[in-house]
Amino acid sequence: MKRKKREKARARGGVLFCVLVYLFLFLPILVIVVNSFNATTSKPYLSWKGFTFSWYAELFTNTDLLGAFGNTLILAGVSTLLSTMIGTLGAVGMYRYKFRGKGLIDAVLYIPVVIPEIVVGISLLTMFSRINIPRGMITLILSHVSFCIPFVIFNIRARLSGYDSSVEEASMDLGANRIRTFMEITLPILAPGIAGGALLAFTLSIDDVIISYFVNGQTMTYPLKVMESIRSGVAPDVNALSTLILIGTVLLVVLTQSDLIIKHRHY
Amino acid sequence: MKHSGHEWKSNTLPAFVTVAPVAVCMLFLVIVPLIYVVIMSFCSIDEYYNVVFRFTLKNYAMLADAQYTHIYLQSLLIAFLTTVFCILIAYPFSFLIARTKSRKKNIYYMMVIIPFWTNSLIRIYGWRTFLGTNGWLNNALRFLHLTDAPVNFLFNRGTTVLGMVYCLMPFMILPLYTSIEKLDQNLLEASADLGARRGATFLHVILPLTSGGIFSGSIMVFIPCLGYFFVSDILGGGNSDVIGNLIERQFQSGNNWPFGAALSIILIVITLLLVKCYQKIGGSMDALGV
Amino acid sequence: MKKKLICMVMTMMLTASMLAGCGASSKTASGSAGQLNVFVWTEYVPDSVFKKFESETGIKVNVSTYSSNEDMLAKVKSEAAGTYDIVQPSDYMVKSMIAQNMLEKLDQTKLTNLGNIGSQYLNASYDPGNVYSVPYQGGVAAIAVNTSVVKKEITGYADLFDPSLKNSLVVLDDYRAVIGMTERSMGLSMNETDKTKLAKVSDQLMKLKDNVKLYDSDSPKSALISGDCSAGFAWSAEIALAMEENPDIKIVYPKEGAYLFMDNWCITKGAKNYDAAMQFINFMLDSESAQMVSKEFPYLCPNTKAVAAMGSDYTDNPAKNPPADVIASGEYLEDLDSDTLSIYNDMWNKLKQ
Repeated sequence: MKRKKREKARARGGVLFCVLVYLFLFLPILVIVVNSFNATTSKPYLSWKGFTFSWYAELFTNTDLLGAFGNTLILAGVSTLLSTMIGTLGAVGMYRYKFRGKGLIDAVLYIPVVIPEIVVGISLLTMFSRINIPRGMITLILSHVSFCIPFVIFNIRARLSGYDSSVEEASMDLGANRIRTFMEITLPILAPGIAGGALLAFTLSIDDVIISYFVNGQTMTYPLKVMESIRSGVAPDVNALSTLILIGTVLLVVLTQSDLIIKHRHY
Repeated sequence: MKHSGHEWKSNTLPAFVTVAPVAVCMLFLVIVPLIYVVIMSFCSIDEYYNVVFRFTLKNYAMLADAQYTHIYLQSLLIAFLTTVFCILIAYPFSFLIARTKSRKKNIYYMMVIIPFWTNSLIRIYGWRTFLGTNGWLNNALRFLHLTDAPVNFLFNRGTTVLGMVYCLMPFMILPLYTSIEKLDQNLLEASADLGARRGATFLHVILPLTSGGIFSGSIMVFIPCLGYFFVSDILGGGNSDVIGNLIERQFQSGNNWPFGAALSIILIVITLLLVKCYQKIGGSMDALGV
Repeated sequence: MKKKLICMVMTMMLTASMLAGCGASSKTASGSAGQLNVFVWTEYVPDSVFKKFESETGIKVNVSTYSSNEDMLAKVKSEAAGTYDIVQPSDYMVKSMIAQNMLEKLDQTKLTNLGNIGSQYLNASYDPGNVYSVPYQGGVAAIAVNTSVVKKEITGYADLFDPSLKNSLVVLDDYRAVIGMTERSMGLSMNETDKTKLAKVSDQLMKLKDNVKLYDSDSPKSALISGDCSAGFAWSAEIALAMEENPDIKIVYPKEGAYLFMDNWCITKGAKNYDAAMQFINFMLDSESAQMVSKEFPYLCPNTKAVAAMGSDYTDNPAKNPPADVIASGEYLEDLDSDTLSIYNDMWNKLKQ
C-alpha cells in the first residue's frame, strides 16, 4: 500500500517535471505569439497596449521582411537540393568503393559537424574575400551546401548499413543500364534516408544565422533580418511572421504524420 | 551482399562520378578555407588594419594576453555550466518521455523539436522580454507581492548560461532519448529481480548503457557554446562574452583578421582535443551527425 | 507515409523555387531604373525616406546597417570594392577614409540642395571644401537619467562613475565614444595620446565596469524605456525618443564639455551606382527629407531650411536641438595613430572582459 503510494507520488513528480521542461521550452514562443498581437506602435514594442491583428496585415506590406524570408526559402531550397544530390551520390560512392583518400574525405566530413559555426563562417569569409567573390546569394548557397552535405551523408549512411546490393545486380542482369538502375532501384531504397537528410539540411539552412552573418554581403535572410530587428527592438510584425511560420511547420508535421519523422531522428 | 569492388566498378555508376562532387565541395569549402585561416593567423596588419602577407607570431603572442585569457576561462566556465545544466534537465526528461508507455510518446517527442523550428534569435529575445525589469516575470512577482523592487535578472553570466542551455537543449535531449530508448527492458527487470535497488540499477546498469548518449550530447552542447556569440550579445549585454564574441569583434569592428584567425585556431584546438577525448572513451562519431 | 514526407520536402523546394522566380522577376522589373546600395547606422535613417526616394526616382534602394564607424570600415574593406555605394561615416572616420583612399569625390554640380545646409556645418576640418562628404545629422553623446529611479543629481560624465549607479547603466558599445567620455570626465581631451595619461584613463575606465549593465549602440533607448537601465551614456536623439516615452527620463549635457559628432554622406571608391548615389545625396539634402528624418530620429539637424520649417517642437527641445553653448564647449573625435588606437583597444577589451 505504502509502496503504491510512493510510486504514484513519483509518477506525479515525473509528470510535473516534464511539464516544467516543456514550459521552459515553450515560454519564449508564448512571448513571441503574445507580442505579435500587441497593439503598441512605439519602440521597443514592449509595453502591452491592447490586442490587435493589425501586425499580421502590416506584415504583408513589409517588403523587406518578406523579401528576406523569400531569400531564406530560396537559399534553403537550393542548398537542400544541391547538398542532397551531392550527398546522395557521395554516400553511395563511399559505401560502395574503396579508393585512396576515402579516409580523408570521411574525416573531413566531420569538420563542419563538430567545429563551432563561427569558425566555419570566418574561414569561408576569409577565403571568399581573398579570391574576391562578392558576398551574396552565391556565397550563401556555397556555404550552406558545405555544412549540409555531411548531415545528408550521415543520414543516408545510416540507411545504407543494412543495404543489400544484390537487387541492383539483378536489375543490371535484367538489362537495365546503370543510370536506370540507380534511378529505379537504388534511389527508392534509399529514399527515406535521403528525405531525412534533406529535411535536416533544410532545417539547418533555414535557421542558420552565424555562418550566414559572415558571408551574406547585402543579401538579407530571415534570421539575419531578425538579428537586425533585435538591435532596435523586435517589431511585432517580425513576431507575427514567426508565429505564422510556427503554425505552418506544426501543420506540416501533423499532416505528414509525426511518427515517421521520429523514426529517422532528425532535428 | 559482399561483392568485389572490381565487379561493381564496371557495372554501376563509377566511383569518380559519385565521389568527385563531395570531394570537390569538401576540398574547396572546408579544407581550403581552414588552411587559409591558419595562414591568416600568421599574417600581419598594416597601420590601417589591412591584412599584409608578412610572417609574424605576434597574433599568437597576443593570445596569451590577460585580457583575453580571462574570456577563454569565462567561455569554458559558461560552456561547462551549460553542459551540466543540460544533462541535469535533459536526462530525467528524456528518460521519462523515452520510457513512457503512453501512445502519445511521439507527440511528446515532437514537442521537444517544434520550438526549434522558430528562429533561435527571436526566441532568445523572447527570454529578454520575459526577464526584463518590467518583463513578465517581474510583473508576476510584483503582482504576487513577492518582491517590492524589480529583480535584476538580465545581462549577466547567469542569463547567458540560461540562453545557452535553452538553445542547445535539443542537442542533449535527442542523443539521450535515443540511447535510453534502446535500453533493454529485460535487463532492467533482471537487475530488479536480482535484488538491486533502484539506485543500484541506475548506477550499474542504466548509466553505463546510456553514457554514450551523455557523451555525444555533451560534445554537441559544449563546443557550440564557445562560439554562440549572439546569445551572450542578447542576454549577456556584453558583460559575459565567449570566445565567439572575441572572434566576431575581430572580423567586424576590430577589423584585425589575423588575430581573429588566431583566436579561431584556439577554438579548433579545443574542438580537436574534446573530440579526441570523446573517441578515446568510445564515443561514436556518427552519433554527432544525426 | 514515406512518400508523404518526400512530397513535403518537394513541396517546400517547389515553393522556394517559385518564390525564387518571383524574386528574380521583380528584380528585373525595378532593375531598369537602377539600384543603390546604402550602408547606414542602425536607427538613423527612416524607411519612409528610402521609400519616398524609390517612388520618386524608381531606383531600388538596398539598405544595410552598422553599429559603429569601425564596423562600417571593417565591412567596407572586407567586401569587394563598390559593394556599397553610400556610407555614412562620422567626422574623424571621413578623414581616415579619405587618407585610405576609400572615398570617391562628390560631383559638386549635382549638389543643388547644398544651400540648405547651414554654413557653420560646411567646410569642416575633416573635409575642407566638402570634397568627399556632406553633413547628414549630428549630435551629442549625452547622459540620460531616469529621475524616478536615480536620486543622485547628475551633472557630468564623472557622475556616471559613481558607485551608487552600480549595474544600472546602458552605455554605447563604441570604444572611441566610451573612452572619449572617460577622458572628458577627467578633464582630458577625447584624443589624448600621452601614454602616462592614458594609463590613468584606463584606471578610471575600469571604475565604469561595475556600473555598466548593458552595452548597446543600436538602440540604447530600448533599455531606458523598458526600465532595464536607469541611466546611460547615449546618442542625444535616442535620449529624446526615450523622453517622449517616459517623462521621468531627462537628458543631461555634461558640464565637462560634451562628445560631439557629425555624420556625413559619402560615396565609396569604385561605387557601382555613382549617379544614383549623387541623386540620393542631393535628395537627402532636401528640406522635406530632412524634416522626415528629424521626425523619426531627432538629431541635430544641419539643414537650416528644414529647421526653420520644423518650428518650436524641434528648436525648443534641448534633447533634439542641443543648445549652442553645449556645441561650443564640446569636442569632436580625431583620427588617431594606430599605436594609440591599439592602447585604446586594449583598454576597451579590459573593460569588456
